[in-house]
Amino acid sequence: MTMAPDMVRHLSGAAVSVELETPDMTLNIGPQHPSTHGVLRLVAKVDGERAFDVQPVIGYMHRGYEKLAEVRNYPQITALINRIDWVSGYANEIPFMVAAERLMGVEPPDRAQFIRLILTEMARISSHLIFQASYPLELGAATPLFFALRDRERVLDLIESVTGGRFHPNFNRIGGVKPAVGAGPVTRKTIQDLPAGFLSETRDAMDRVLSTADQLEDLVAGNEIVLARTKEIGVIPPEVAISYGVSGPILRASGVPFDLRKVSNYLPYHLFDFEIPTGENGDCWDRWWIRLEEIRQSASIIRQAVDTIPSGPLQAKVPRIIKVPAGEIYVRAENPKGEMGYYVVSDGGLGPYRLKIRSASFSNISILPWVLEGTLVPDIIAILGSLDFVLGDVDR
Amino acid sequence: MAEAEGSGEDNSLAGRAAKAVGGVVLEALETDKVGVAADRWAEALRIARDDLGLSFFSWLSAVHWANDPQVGDALSEEVTERFELLCAVSDVTAGELVVFSTDLGASDPTVDSLIGVYPGADWHERECREMFGITFLGHPRPENLYLPNGFVGNPLLKSFPLLSREVKPWPGEVDVEDMPEVTGGG
Repeated sequence: MTMAPDMVRHLSGAAVSVELETPDMTLNIGPQHPSTHGVLRLVAKVDGERAFDVQPVIGYMHRGYEKLAEVRNYPQITALINRIDWVSGYANEIPFMVAAERLMGVEPPDRAQFIRLILTEMARISSHLIFQASYPLELGAATPLFFALRDRERVLDLIESVTGGRFHPNFNRIGGVKPAVGAGPVTRKTIQDLPAGFLSETRDAMDRVLSTADQLEDLVAGNEIVLARTKEIGVIPPEVAISYGVSGPILRASGVPFDLRKVSNYLPYHLFDFEIPTGENGDCWDRWWIRLEEIRQSASIIRQAVDTIPSGPLQAKVPRIIKVPAGEIYVRAENPKGEMGYYVVSDGGLGPYRLKIRSASFSNISILPWVLEGTLVPDIIAILGSLDFVLGDVDR
Repeated sequence: MAEAEGSGEDNSLAGRAAKAVGGVVLEALETDKVGVAADRWAEALRIARDDLGLSFFSWLSAVHWANDPQVGDALSEEVTERFELLCAVSDVTAGELVVFSTDLGASDPTVDSLIGVYPGADWHERECREMFGITFLGHPRPENLYLPNGFVGNPLLKSFPLLSREVKPWPGEVDVEDMPEVTGGG
């Protein structure tokens, strides 16, 4: 077959310009995939490089905590809820403890509240540092991981020095916090408190976290590839985020200055100066930047808290056997990933009659079908990573 | 669950919300809770979103009120077996949150889906459907969310046994039973 020269020239450009018929193909991503943060499965219909009708399939990590909570007593449930969002296990305990305490009419002492607040903010820093490590990695930049994980380890060491656990502290008690592990032998005569040197080590660690945040910004914010992969990718408008119940840094990246630390009184955040960083475009880039800025804000809160921590007991007077009076309460807290809350229905027994666990990641990734509609296949990974979810927090 | 009368002078958030949606204020500690009739469920939430500014969808779930649980402690009071459907919505400025509640009958609980009002209700309703057996009319994808396809039963029903507990009694229970009843700090 012979072709006119015009035709040959036209065909040589065909690879980029011709409209190819690409029939629908179903692409299965996960449940085991390096960039899915655990066992999330996405079933995407793709047409060429565009994805349509992406349906997340969850439930591979479902442990049925709401049912298990019905057969356990209140102190036992703390050990369960640590494992909901294991990247910031400590922060999960707070709203549940506060809910039980309020139903019982118990107010933890000031020092215990400050320790809770310091550890919660440390959990936030370690969670955001995991994001700062993994997100650039998913986009192909391996270096930030080493900086972020190094300082996360410093923060986890501090959490461990107080609670005895890196991931699952199980440190809160109804009415206060458990006497710290590092403070000497467990005898009734010893006054147990924060381990020696904790406050000064915390100040050092926060200095280092702040300088690492600057380093991470230098490493990532000037990287053209990262910018190209994240700017104006996966834009979530504020009204869409709100109607899906998307909360936390993702909501703030969309420009909504909503932070439960400012409007709810579950811990004494009103005593500290901190800002709520917000994004402008609600894209992947803003979500990265918000979490970097929140590390700085959390470090500032921790510095203020260690400077002003009051002395006093760690535990309020509570009965030996915890019985929670009948009643219902919903307490929510600003977890590193968003709104984490517990609706506790108590019948006056040793355990709750019903415990509804509102976890941040569950609502946050329910927006995936909306935000992934019509995106390019490589952007799926960029968007997934920017939502920073933990499957334990999705499936409960 | 005592019901407080939603009087005209009630200026609390729950009072204002109850007035706006035509419901009653229900008792809950430090939580604004409003009960509405089941046939006004979606309408009430639409009013909450449009007129009260509660545009943030927090969560939706249910409570199975029953006196003869397979697991857990029995209720101290006699209740009519029913499902209480709960939906928490909030604003994103002052953080005002209202928990809306409606009672569904014990047999064939059915209610309108909220997807048209809050798209975020999608997964929450699917979870509620498989865990409690509640039917959400108008839900476009009434499939299992967590449970495998073909799973028989609704795990969060009080009548649903906990298999691990059937096989082996809970060892942690021993501690609780043997401790003496002492009040005051330890």
